[in-house]
Amino acid sequence: MLKLLWQELKFRRGAMLGWSIGLCFFPIVYIGIYPSVATEMGNLADLEIYKMLGMNLGTFSGWIASILIAFMPLVACIYAIINGTGTLAAEEEDGRLEMLATLPLPRWQIVIVKALALMISSLVMFLVVAAVSVQVFYAIANQVETDIVALDLFRAILFALPMVFTVGMLSLFFAAFAASRRAASTLSAVVLIVSYFGNNLAQSTEVLEPFTPFFLHTYLNASPEAVTAGQQAGDTLTLLVTGLVALALAVFFFEHRNLTVGVWPWQRAQVED
Amino acid sequence: MSEPIIQTNNLTVYYGRVRGVKNLNLAVERGEAFGFLGPNGAGKTTTQRVLLDVIRPTAGNAAIFGMDCRKQGVDIRKRVGYLPGELALYKDMRAAEFFEMMEYLRGFNGATGYWRTLSERLDLDPARTIRTFSRGNKQKVGIVAAFMNKPDLLILDEPTSGLDPLVQQTVMDLVREVKMDGRTVFFSSHILPEVQAVCDRVGIIRSGELVATERVTEMLAARFKRMTFTFSNLPPAEVFALPGVMEISRAQNSITLEVRENLPQVLSMAAQHNVRDLETQNMSLEEVFLAFYEKGNGGNHA
Repeated sequence: MLKLLWQELKFRRGAMLGWSIGLCFFPIVYIGIYPSVATEMGNLADLEIYKMLGMNLGTFSGWIASILIAFMPLVACIYAIINGTGTLAAEEEDGRLEMLATLPLPRWQIVIVKALALMISSLVMFLVVAAVSVQVFYAIANQVETDIVALDLFRAILFALPMVFTVGMLSLFFAAFAASRRAASTLSAVVLIVSYFGNNLAQSTEVLEPFTPFFLHTYLNASPEAVTAGQQAGDTLTLLVTGLVALALAVFFFEHRNLTVGVWPWQRAQVED
Repeated sequence: MSEPIIQTNNLTVYYGRVRGVKNLNLAVERGEAFGFLGPNGAGKTTTQRVLLDVIRPTAGNAAIFGMDCRKQGVDIRKRVGYLPGELALYKDMRAAEFFEMMEYLRGFNGATGYWRTLSERLDLDPARTIRTFSRGNKQKVGIVAAFMNKPDLLILDEPTSGLDPLVQQTVMDLVREVKMDGRTVFFSSHILPEVQAVCDRVGIIRSGELVATERVTEMLAARFKRMTFTFSNLPPAEVFALPGVMEISRAQNSITLEVRENLPQVLSMAAQHNVRDLETQNMSLEEVFLAFYEKGNGGNHA
């Protein structure tokens, strides 16, 4: 299992490197430029459109929360979707999964290894982003007035990881269920977009309020306070449990369906004669 | 007789409403090379995938080494080498890395490093990245991966597809060596002369159903014959218009018939028309195979 995990991580090394560099764009550019745009941002703080996008730009902590807790993990979720759907459905579509499925490995192990590889690669990316964020913070610390310390940044970024985990596991589940990368990535993207915008819009309109428990982003606090206070344990637990349930469903459906033929689980029973 | 290495009992697979295989009853014995023949879509790959638990039966069951393919798939796959018909590889790996990974994941089985010998025999450079290989070389990678663990059972789907004739011969030699080791080979191929050359028995599958399972020698010698009769005066065509008898050609004094049934009647009719000479020819496996798929040649040969 460890060897397979190592291989899976090796397959992802290019993606890990590329996405780490890409995600570091957020701290390097957005934290780096903050001292020069702080005044302008303060003037934009009350604009409704930014609130609807989940952004609070008036203060340094609000800026940090918007960039590193709201936006950066949102982009990282795209990685989780690409990998979550690619690792099962795309490999099944291009035939590589057949090679793996005919080795003496239980199917559950294949799903767990792929889930672990996805999580480890996401963790590595977040650690890189957190480390770079801390360095950028040290570089500008004397130009901003703030109570935030470097450890707050590090922690705030890592506490957003459960969101990526949950989206990744949902993608894995959709891929295990649908056996189609297109269907799985469409579903995952819909969940992500509805969750992000639904949660933000729910703060401005009462119509969406009853639905907030169903939006994943309800459980990721991107307010300025979250930078120093961290995420609530209950919210993090909700995300983790959702992710684990999705993983369990992924294992279940992968265990119980035909591989390589793209047949939906319920179709197996429909015998013609 | 010992327990069959592969056994299927009324194995049926449907993909939704589409038939994969239907009531397939098959037994492959230890140490034999079994050729599984059929046109595209007949159910060959489906059967192989069921044996490896990639696809689950809709009804019936399949067993390898006496173990249920569905329940004991992991234990079975430790002892099986598989070459899929639609080979897809990890293109960014070097072939050697791929073999090492496969060796580790399959369990060593006392055959560590055998892939090096196989690579040499197939003239494959394992130091190269798989992406850079031609189709034939990628097929060689698949062949090495299937054989490298010296499995008790080899399941090969079109093993020589895309290979040049020299390498095809090497692959057939490898199959013969597996047989001589007392191990078993179950393979499908459209290149029937090679099936004829290495297989002990063949099964012919048509529209998901097994229509014949016989020793190759018996199938060729007894089941189908090509007979050329020489007469003083050629009898009319209607004389040999019998079920299972087809006139292939007619010359000045001779008629060539393909005889699948009613051999005594054919001989009797020929005798009644003063046959002067008779020449009998066994048909090739290819001809036998094609005969099974002729229009109107129902399932009455099973």
